[in-house]
Amino acid sequence: MEGQTLRRQFLKLLGAGVVSAWGFPWGVSAHSSALQTKPIPSSGESLPVIGMGTWRTFNVGNDQELLAARTQVLKAFFASGGGLVDSSPMYGSAPDTLGFALKQLGMPKTLFSAEKVWSPAGGTTREQVASLADRWGLKTFDLVQVHNLDDWQEHLAVLRELKASGFIRYLGITTSHGRRHQEFEQVMATTELDFAQMTYNITHREVESRLLPLAKEKGVAVIANRPYDGGSLIKGLKHREKVPEWATEAFGCRTWADFLLKFIVSHPAVNCAIPATSRVEHMNENMAAGAAPLPDASTRQRMAAYIDSL
Amino acid sequence: MRTMNEWDSYQLQDFIPFSADVYFRLLERVSETFWPLQLFSLGLGVAVLVFALRGKARLALLLLAPVWGFVGVAFFAQRYANLNWAGHVLCWVWIVQAALLVMLGISGRGAAHRAGLLSGGTITGVLVTLVGLLMFPLLAPVLGSGWTQAEVFGLHPDPTAIVSLGVFLIALRGWAQWLACIIPMLWISFSALTLQVLEAPWWPALFAVVAAALGSLIGQSHPGSGRPYRRSSR
Repeated sequence: MEGQTLRRQFLKLLGAGVVSAWGFPWGVSAHSSALQTKPIPSSGESLPVIGMGTWRTFNVGNDQELLAARTQVLKAFFASGGGLVDSSPMYGSAPDTLGFALKQLGMPKTLFSAEKVWSPAGGTTREQVASLADRWGLKTFDLVQVHNLDDWQEHLAVLRELKASGFIRYLGITTSHGRRHQEFEQVMATTELDFAQMTYNITHREVESRLLPLAKEKGVAVIANRPYDGGSLIKGLKHREKVPEWATEAFGCRTWADFLLKFIVSHPAVNCAIPATSRVEHMNENMAAGAAPLPDASTRQRMAAYIDSL
Repeated sequence: MRTMNEWDSYQLQDFIPFSADVYFRLLERVSETFWPLQLFSLGLGVAVLVFALRGKARLALLLLAPVWGFVGVAFFAQRYANLNWAGHVLCWVWIVQAALLVMLGISGRGAAHRAGLLSGGTITGVLVTLVGLLMFPLLAPVLGSGWTQAEVFGLHPDPTAIVSLGVFLIALRGWAQWLACIIPMLWISFSALTLQVLEAPWWPALFAVVAAALGSLIGQSHPGSGRPYRRSSR
């Protein structure tokens, strides 16, 4: 199992095309011309900075037309060097849609599968993970997280056993919309975790004060969910404003996807953002935002101030 | 920067787990699967309205009951539940409504013997029924989505609930009327919120239907407002 894991990690690194860093501390993907990666603190394994979420967008039931359309979205994701795909049993048929699409695409080597277990635990953690693996068409998961801290103690205990047995490679916890941050911080501070997923975007920066520094200190990889605040953020910006010229000059910003996603993934504690979309052209926009260069600290401040001023 | 706390962090869209294209494709697939049942169900809707207006309330209720059962199973349990775990719960809610209509239809409790054609309740009921029977099938083609996405009484939940609500305003009185209207009004409100999240332009029309029905219910509950009617003999 260990040999298989090492081989898998090697293939992932190869697939992600990690090459010399061009001056960036976390490396640059060769395949996508500039899709950047960052290392997962607990292992050093590289992960592309743009992943994808599946809330709402991949819940299409058994509609063959929509299943085919979502397969194209996933194809575009992997064609750009994408890695982390995040889903949840709470997202309706999203895990089934992923299973369908991954089968069509022949299980891309760069896939970093991220799932969640939710409440009630009641001794069902293993069952939940096994059922989800079946729906994805996978034998193992890269990452399983406890959804919104639901029954986190029971779930994490079992996830640790699953990690030890090689059934999952990483474990973590999630929150969203800024919920239960105090408890989240407590769990992060007192429990060994590989990943922590939380809401972080340019209009919701609450996690900058405590959770992100704590993640950095504890060596926990951070996945930023709701990068577009459920879509409303980017939709509003596209309607009313053009990307400011100073952003284009500072870090080659061309689109609002660039602006919003680069802001998130340029935070030193954030490993990747997971925008969700049902459209190939938006997926391509999202993936392009993972390219170098990223804004520096002072530019990030200017970006946040600019959005606050709107 | 905005801060988030537990309660104000929830938005309407957090409770709708699918996107607009997926929901409208669902409506379209239902239409495709059951075509040409639409022709029959529309005819049934017209018949139910005529029976209600002619004072055959019990027959109208008994004809509506299987329609609610059918939509509960065929729409919610077999299709909507693939997108939203609440689909199974909604199926049971629709079956409960079907059972209620059977009970009211058989017992005749609350049934209006004949409709006063010029009464406010009847006029509102007819208008609401026509909205469900005629406006909903026309919405999709008028808004450019094509006939395949047309929502029809008997197959899709919104027009079914609206037509039923209209019929209850005509054919029922008293507590039975309120009882029969609760689930349709709740569904129509829930659907209006869903459509608002999905940015469907006609969502306010659904709230208008609920407001009209509620106004009519309150008006008919007012002492003296039910005088033109008498309960059917059982």
